[in-house]
Amino acid sequence: MAALATFFNSLPTVNACSHCLLPVSLNGQEREVNGERLPFCCYGCCLAYQVSHGERDEPEAAWLLIRIGAGAFLAMFIMLFSLLLYSGTFGENDGVIVRAVHFILWALATPLVVILGAPFLRGAAQAARAGRFSADTLVVIGSFAAYGYSALQVVQGGDAVYFDTATMVLVLFTLGRYLEAQARVRTARSLAPMLAAERASATVMVDGSETGRPVSEILPGAIVRVRAGERLPVDGVVIEGSSHCDEAVLTGQPERLRKQPGSSVYAGSINGDGALLVRASVAGNATRWVQISRAVRVALSRKSLLGELIDRVAAWFVPAVLLLALATLWYWNARGPFEDALMAGLAVLVVACPCALGLAAPLACALGLGEAAQKGILIRGGGVLEKLARVRAFAFDKTGTLTSGSLRVVEVMTVKAGEAELFGYAAGLAAGSKHPLSLSIEGAARERDYSALSLAGITAKPGQGMVAANAAMGSAALMQTHNWRIPDVLTARAESSNATLVYVGWNGAVRGLLCLADEAPSDAGAAVSALHELGFATTMLSGDAEAPAARIACAVGIKSHHAMLTPEGKVAALREFARQHGAVAMVGDGVNDGPVLAAAMVGIAVGNASDFAREAADITLPAASLRELPWLIALARRVRDTMYKNLAWAFGYNAIALSLAVSGLLQPVIAAGLMAGSSVVVVINSLRAGSENLRDDVVSASAAGARVKLQS
Amino acid sequence: MTSYVLIFLAGIAGSMHCVGMCGGFVCAMKPDPRGTAATARRHLIYNSGRVTTYVFLGAVVGFAGASLVAHDGGDTTASAAQRLLALVSGALMVFIGLQFLGAFKTRVLSGAGGRWLANALRDLLNSPSNLAPLAFGVLNGFLPCPLVYAFAAQAAASGGPDSGAAIMLAFGLGTFPAMLAMGGAGVWLRSARSRAPQLAFPTHDPKTGARAGAHIASLPRADWRQNGVRLAGVFIVLLGIITLARGLLPFSAHLH
Repeated sequence: MAALATFFNSLPTVNACSHCLLPVSLNGQEREVNGERLPFCCYGCCLAYQVSHGERDEPEAAWLLIRIGAGAFLAMFIMLFSLLLYSGTFGENDGVIVRAVHFILWALATPLVVILGAPFLRGAAQAARAGRFSADTLVVIGSFAAYGYSALQVVQGGDAVYFDTATMVLVLFTLGRYLEAQARVRTARSLAPMLAAERASATVMVDGSETGRPVSEILPGAIVRVRAGERLPVDGVVIEGSSHCDEAVLTGQPERLRKQPGSSVYAGSINGDGALLVRASVAGNATRWVQISRAVRVALSRKSLLGELIDRVAAWFVPAVLLLALATLWYWNARGPFEDALMAGLAVLVVACPCALGLAAPLACALGLGEAAQKGILIRGGGVLEKLARVRAFAFDKTGTLTSGSLRVVEVMTVKAGEAELFGYAAGLAAGSKHPLSLSIEGAARERDYSALSLAGITAKPGQGMVAANAAMGSAALMQTHNWRIPDVLTARAESSNATLVYVGWNGAVRGLLCLADEAPSDAGAAVSALHELGFATTMLSGDAEAPAARIACAVGIKSHHAMLTPEGKVAALREFARQHGAVAMVGDGVNDGPVLAAAMVGIAVGNASDFAREAADITLPAASLRELPWLIALARRVRDTMYKNLAWAFGYNAIALSLAVSGLLQPVIAAGLMAGSSVVVVINSLRAGSENLRDDVVSASAAGARVKLQS
Repeated sequence: MTSYVLIFLAGIAGSMHCVGMCGGFVCAMKPDPRGTAATARRHLIYNSGRVTTYVFLGAVVGFAGASLVAHDGGDTTASAAQRLLALVSGALMVFIGLQFLGAFKTRVLSGAGGRWLANALRDLLNSPSNLAPLAFGVLNGFLPCPLVYAFAAQAAASGGPDSGAAIMLAFGLGTFPAMLAMGGAGVWLRSARSRAPQLAFPTHDPKTGARAGAHIASLPRADWRQNGVRLAGVFIVLLGIITLARGLLPFSAHLH
């Protein structure tokens, strides 16, 4: 023994297994766990390490698992004895022992059927009360028929005992249910903070002490304490503390923004490293976050187009399967022993269960919606994603969509005057009006640090400009009415410009020209060229004048544009465009293009549209996030492909397995195994497609505690 | 019968590996609030669940092996297919046994769905239900483990579900004592948890040593366990050679 120990200790070791701490010999392997490379002595240890170091706790999933475990415990003994029977271990002539084993099997199977069969029985009863058949009906009829027939055989002293079939069918179907529940839990988890927004609670300061209150009871003016890492429960202003907030769910911007006393903060964003005191500016149930939460919940409860189709198919699918099973039973009963016929009929029932069908659409859709919502993109239901995947062309509104919607001074020309003087008069005149042009000119003067002159007797001439005692600014026509000559150099510049022109004159002469234009944000061009690369046709539909429209279209790279359109004209132009290119998605700002958004196959509203309920848009993007359009298209196509793949798989698989079962070539136990396998494939497929970039969200305790039931 | 005793001994030696691997969760299982007897019962239930899975696996692979080679009941007139199965299984056992001895660098067989199993087990850890340890044990038995593979290989070549089940039962019972003791140690450790657990031995990697702290203090010393695992490796190689011999030698009845 000592020699053996010496030999052992001479063997080389590298380092210790991360889980069981045995020195890892040369056969050790490194695996990536939670982002670290750790040595393990075997794969089992790697898994065991994950068990003891992960963060998961799902009480309801655990309850299902306990059922499965207890069921599997009984089922394994049943299989054990059945195998021994099949392999003739007990001998053919030992009738007493065989009978005893039959009774043992019956005794083991009875509690199992009660434990695992009850949920299916409830489901089937529920469907029956509604006058429907469901997948549960098939499972119940299949397993209870096998159990009942076997029990009858035991009592009569027969030999055809199929307890193993009855129990394995139940175990495997319960396993399928568990996987489904897991997938749903996972989806719910990624959306949990969003869905729980209204039920979340906040720490409110009342007379210097903290109390927990539900968000819905918070009124404007309340002081709320937000801890580091918490999700903000209210919209408001910081009054104490400083931190960085992640507002991605609202704006899609991944950068963290600095917050200090005086900064505005928004519900739904995630507080970073510092604690904050926030004064609520709106009621807790009126924040944009709560509106998003409601919209997501509505979106999830809406069936997708495909989902509705599947429901309609399932409605007649189950009765058809029942008839087919009966026909199979009758056919084989006429040609062979009743036991074989019964097995064939059971195999038909079990293998045709449309579980995978019911899973395919909702899972993929819910994950897609969740993924978009985490970027601040709201999609109204799974059907929208399916339509978006069919879109072949994009039409854009101009103002507020391809442009920021606010005019900027892009060029300043002066004649015999300084820029400071020019802006002094211009800003002074602008102070008398709230017209967008006036606001832009005031802003430009502020930007350049020029102070406005205070002028007497300012009046606005609608459609022309502003007039004061000794100064005016506005169109060329306004200058004509003053009989102020416009210098040639300005006229020449004006003729070549496609911007909006404002002349400024004082003390009897025109002294300067301001050119204003609205700028396309840098990402609009990138988004449009990405869409072109993907093969989409694009056009621009604008209500603005021809020159600015042409300039913006050119700037972002859209080749065709229509200007001077009324809302009705936009709809007509969109229809024409759709005739040429197929399904069109319209991208607008949702403010005054409701009709055209509604007329498009998919209406996409961009901007911080404050009231979701009023919009005609199918999709709402946060402001300045046109660059997400290609990503959104990719998401829609991925979700659609996942659904089709799942459906094709489920149908094809079922068709092949069904034909095998009808021809009596399939044992029911194998059929149940095939069925469970089919569900596994569908779930894995959906989760893989849906988890490509789901962020792990920081979940506040209250949100994590709120359990969400998603539609099935 | 000789080989069953060998397997039982191999189980005892190999349970040093089980203790390291599964001991972590055994300690993590919630002690029963109704006292030590109830906690002991929970651990007994857990181990029964685990061994049930082993026995079931043994019966299934035994049955599969027997149907594969159309076993005709006679030991002495073993068919060519049966010999081949014995050779394959024996080779696999020798290979795994040598792995335990650290003979060569290789990737360990990885089971599909392992991650899912790990997640499932974690869901069960904190459940107060009486059936939870049973479900936990049943699933734990399915965790991929080279020891289980080695004896499953032997069960496959054993010629029937009965002998397959018996082989796995012998192995499972061999792992019983150490694992039950582990449960006891876990209970004791929990009561002593207020004192910071001292690492009982130096680890080569301070980082992993610090990370793996939860159940370490209750483990037997690593070098003992290491030698236990190596002893198990020796047993497995021995059993593998016997299995190989059944495939090679004309008359192997005396080895059965």
